[in-house]
Amino acid sequence: MTIHRPTIDRPMPAGQVGRSVPRLEARQKVTGRADYVHNLVVPRMLYCKVVRSTVPHGRILSIDTSAAEALEGVYRVVTADDIRTVVPNPFYGPAFHDQPVLAVEKVRHVGEPVVAVLAEDPYVAAEAAQLVTVEYEPMEAVFDEIEAMTSTAVVHEVLKPAGTFPDLKHLVGRRDTNIALDYRLRRGDVDAAFAAADHVFAHEFKTQQVMHTPLEPMVSLAEPGEDTLTIHTASQSPSFVRIEIARLLGWPENRVRVKVPHLGGGFGAKLYIKLEALVACLALLVRRPVKWSLTMEEQFYTITKHASTFRIESAVDKEGRVTGRRCEVFWNGGAYADIGPRVTQKSGFTAPGPYDIDNVSIDSYALYTNRPPAGALRGFGIPQLVWAYESHTDLIARGLGLDPVAFRRKNLLRDGRPQATGTPVRDAAIEGVLDDIAARMAWETPFDRGSGPVKRGRGIAVGFKASIAPTTSVAIVNVAADGSANLYLSTVDMGQGSDTAMAQIVAETLTLRTEDVKVVHPDTDVTPYDMATLGSRSTFHAGNAVKLAAEHARDQIAALAASLGLPPGSNYAPADLFKKKYGMQAGNIIGVGTYIPEYKSPAPETGLSDNVTPFWMVGGTGVEIEVDTETGHVRILRMVNACDLGRPLNPKIVETQISGAALMQLGFTMFENMDLDDGQVTNASLADYKIPGMHDVPDQMESVITEAEQKSGPYGAKGVGESATFGVSPAIANAIHDAVGVRLTEMPLTPQAVFRALREAELNSSTTSA
Amino acid sequence: MRGFELVHPGSLADAIGLLDTDDDTVRPFSGGTALMLMMKTGVFRPSRLVHLGRIGDAYSEITASPAGGLRIGAMATLSALEHSPEVIRVAPVVARAMTRLANVRVRNVACVGGNLAHGDPHMDLPPVLAALGGSVSVAGPQGTRDVAVEKLFSGYYETVLGRGELITDVVLPSQRGWSSAYLKCTTRSADDWPALGVAVSLRIEGGAISEARVVVSAATEILTRLTTAESALTGAAADESTFARACEAAAAEAEMVEDARGSADYKTQLLRVYLRRALTQAVQDGAVS
Ligand SMILES: Cc1cc2nc3c(=O)[nH]c(=O)nc-3n(C[C@H](O)[C@H](O)[C@H](O)COP(=O)(O)OP(=O)(O)OC[C@H]3O[C@@H](n4cnc5c(N)ncnc54)[C@H](O)[C@@H]3O)c2cc1C
Repeated sequence: MTIHRPTIDRPMPAGQVGRSVPRLEARQKVTGRADYVHNLVVPRMLYCKVVRSTVPHGRILSIDTSAAEALEGVYRVVTADDIRTVVPNPFYGPAFHDQPVLAVEKVRHVGEPVVAVLAEDPYVAAEAAQLVTVEYEPMEAVFDEIEAMTSTAVVHEVLKPAGTFPDLKHLVGRRDTNIALDYRLRRGDVDAAFAAADHVFAHEFKTQQVMHTPLEPMVSLAEPGEDTLTIHTASQSPSFVRIEIARLLGWPENRVRVKVPHLGGGFGAKLYIKLEALVACLALLVRRPVKWSLTMEEQFYTITKHASTFRIESAVDKEGRVTGRRCEVFWNGGAYADIGPRVTQKSGFTAPGPYDIDNVSIDSYALYTNRPPAGALRGFGIPQLVWAYESHTDLIARGLGLDPVAFRRKNLLRDGRPQATGTPVRDAAIEGVLDDIAARMAWETPFDRGSGPVKRGRGIAVGFKASIAPTTSVAIVNVAADGSANLYLSTVDMGQGSDTAMAQIVAETLTLRTEDVKVVHPDTDVTPYDMATLGSRSTFHAGNAVKLAAEHARDQIAALAASLGLPPGSNYAPADLFKKKYGMQAGNIIGVGTYIPEYKSPAPETGLSDNVTPFWMVGGTGVEIEVDTETGHVRILRMVNACDLGRPLNPKIVETQISGAALMQLGFTMFENMDLDDGQVTNASLADYKIPGMHDVPDQMESVITEAEQKSGPYGAKGVGESATFGVSPAIANAIHDAVGVRLTEMPLTPQAVFRALREAELNSSTTSA
Repeated sequence: MRGFELVHPGSLADAIGLLDTDDDTVRPFSGGTALMLMMKTGVFRPSRLVHLGRIGDAYSEITASPAGGLRIGAMATLSALEHSPEVIRVAPVVARAMTRLANVRVRNVACVGGNLAHGDPHMDLPPVLAALGGSVSVAGPQGTRDVAVEKLFSGYYETVLGRGELITDVVLPSQRGWSSAYLKCTTRSADDWPALGVAVSLRIEGGAISEARVVVSAATEILTRLTTAESALTGAAADESTFARACEAAAAEAEMVEDARGSADYKTQLLRVYLRRALTQAVQDGAVS
């Protein structure tokens, strides 16, 4: 693999922002000193192991815990009835309060927690869990998202949206449906556009269910206090955990403390509330600390990425302009909504792609099924959408005999033009990303198509994403009497490098060295609110809050200097000011910053809004591949990923975010797949569920930072954690089509799928010629 | 996984004595890489593991025989195979196969004996050793016996080893004049277990194939010698048309098993292609001298 380094490395005046500062925690991590909840042990702690449902949908007839209780070393065996003594209404979730702490009356997916066993020895707990017997009356189950639209199997009798979201209000009390959310958008006159079209193209694309596979499986530990509760958890959203646990317990927020050290990867798996609800209830029930660590296998039953079906239809005029587009997207949300309804809406409205189309309709459905739940995964639904619309775009170009890049250029959304919602697109280098990829790949020059059984092809795809809105971040910068600074922030560094980037913003603003800024990890007793570390929102939202906090501190330092009679602009170090003011090294200055962008929620009937997002993320991919026509194997010779992330705060970290995101999506594209048999995941282990390894990295990989600036972002920056996932899947499918003339419409693009398509094409051409 | 006993016998005889029991929760333990996976998932719950690490250094030695063969102690690690000058000289195909087997950490502890005794049809080493005409020396309460590697497996994860029997050595006959190749094909990540393994060994005299061994694994329930493919090769010229006939014979003969790595039909196609490539590579690489 050769990595081409981005060329942009332009530090800001203080030399902190724009510099490739090595990650602040790198040394701790490689020397094994970094803290993880996984390693945390507290006195009197009990280990939890759960007994999981073996059926996809069924009524619980009986639970026999006697054999488990009789096992030596077992402290307690807990069912939903016990949980109810602590929390009378034990249902949680970020969008819907639909997920029970332990299954109540029925189970809705294989692997759902039904019983919890507590013991001082984790192996005893595991053994006892095997001794619990649960009897179920099986119920009709539904697994497919399209079938779920009309099936007689209903996963939840009644919908229970959380009261906090105005756009979910209309769903309260809806019965006998698996549609958790139906989002619609109507813009222009779609029917008229199709009636007047010179060409109409219609396709259907599917994606499979996959998993985040963080190498540190989920883990939470709850410690009861006198009238408080402390939760140590590998979470991406400590502020949300605090609010949700407080809600469940009926406590004020300040009695719940949530602490998050380092995370071994998150990717959306550790968002909102996961293990915390059960450990909180257990700890309060037995009045002892309780730790629950999942195995890798259990993660497959906890949270996954939505499988999806996307029906897309375009009206095109004779000049090759797309004049209308209909999008119908079905998201397989599994048994619990988690954040699925948000994916359906917040991602759904970008379903027509980064194209300037006057007439658009979108129907996006969040569906309950009896699969393990699906939630947010790096891209928040966008990769599923781009997979479909960029495959479709390529097919249109081919159908019209146009070059795929030229066809895209003709239809791209350009600066200031309204996106489907009506929100004008600003600071979004869609064309820049496309141009960068085309230039790197020398798209205009002839391409070697291979010889013999090995054919070569190339493909390109671009996608975009709106940031989830409106969300709030708060930051505190504490300047000590010697001028050193602490940053208090509830943004979680889960490996993406946010601690370093945030410290760079403080350092740039206060003219310090980044390495001298200490970032205090999330502890809700200490660090202020942050909505969550998700959706590439932190650089922009938390970054803006951090910048405001640092500026607030800087202004107070200036005011202190003025109050001490120093003329503006005089060159005093903060330490001297403190000394002058307090007569010794004493005192501190606290800067506070709160950031929430402006936002207008879409009109319920039309889905339209002229300010639906504070910023756009843009990402694209170009690939050159080789297809072995004898076996269907696809080898990626070269992959170029370009992103608009505004100005890079730290180019080196940006580059690893780009390559990391692309490789993760590469696994989802080529082979990752949760094999399900009657709701059971038959390959729920790393031995059987394969993620990319070193040998799967394309021979040549290039990460490109497209020249751009996000004017409303901190120092011109915005998020980049997901952008390089967008284009990967369709770029590869487009390249396969280019190489061997067959189109795959379902992921993953396995060698067998390619080979089958080749065989079918061969059969078809021989029957037509015969 | 709860407590169990780990014992370290100091001789082969002691190890056999400890294993001479009908209790199937008592098992030998060499590198532990396969056993630990089964223990962690609860498939296997041992009461006692008999560690073979101290039964004597002789059991991890690799020695070349004057006749051009090889004796490999069962406790030799896969890394030792990979780097042994004897293996590289006498049976280079074995050393090469190691480089794509699992990863360095696994190869550093996994042993030849454990690899064979596990009976997993997806392993890379057994088909290679079978194609080279290898056999294993087995020692047990009733004494010692030799078993050809191709006859070692009696079913999916099953071997012909009896109560208290241990593999002590692998013996390869003379490799002089044999041209061999092994190809593994993965269909998911590059480091996945093989969807198909094909090992071939040919003796070519004057442009014609005088003897051939063709072994398929991973795609079949147990490692299988493809005798009709071998017949198609034997006595014929080592050229493309012979290979094509052999590949069709192999495709007709092998009974492929469908799994997450591919359908039976698809694996049959892979066999056609990979057998041809393995034969071509064996010819290209030339004979061991
Ligand atoms: C991550 C990973 C990836 C892998 N990838 C591959 C791969 O790509 N290709 C591949 O071929 N293999 C692969 N393997 C499997 C690996 O090769 C085997 O696990 C290993 O060879 C087993 O050897 P061991 O010494 O560790 O056996 P152990 O785990 O110690 O034992 C395995 C079995 O053999 C028995 N046994 C051990 N020694 C003897 C003996 N001398 N006589 C009789 N019985 C004995 C044990 O009782 C047990 O039943 C992988 C393994 C892992 C963990």
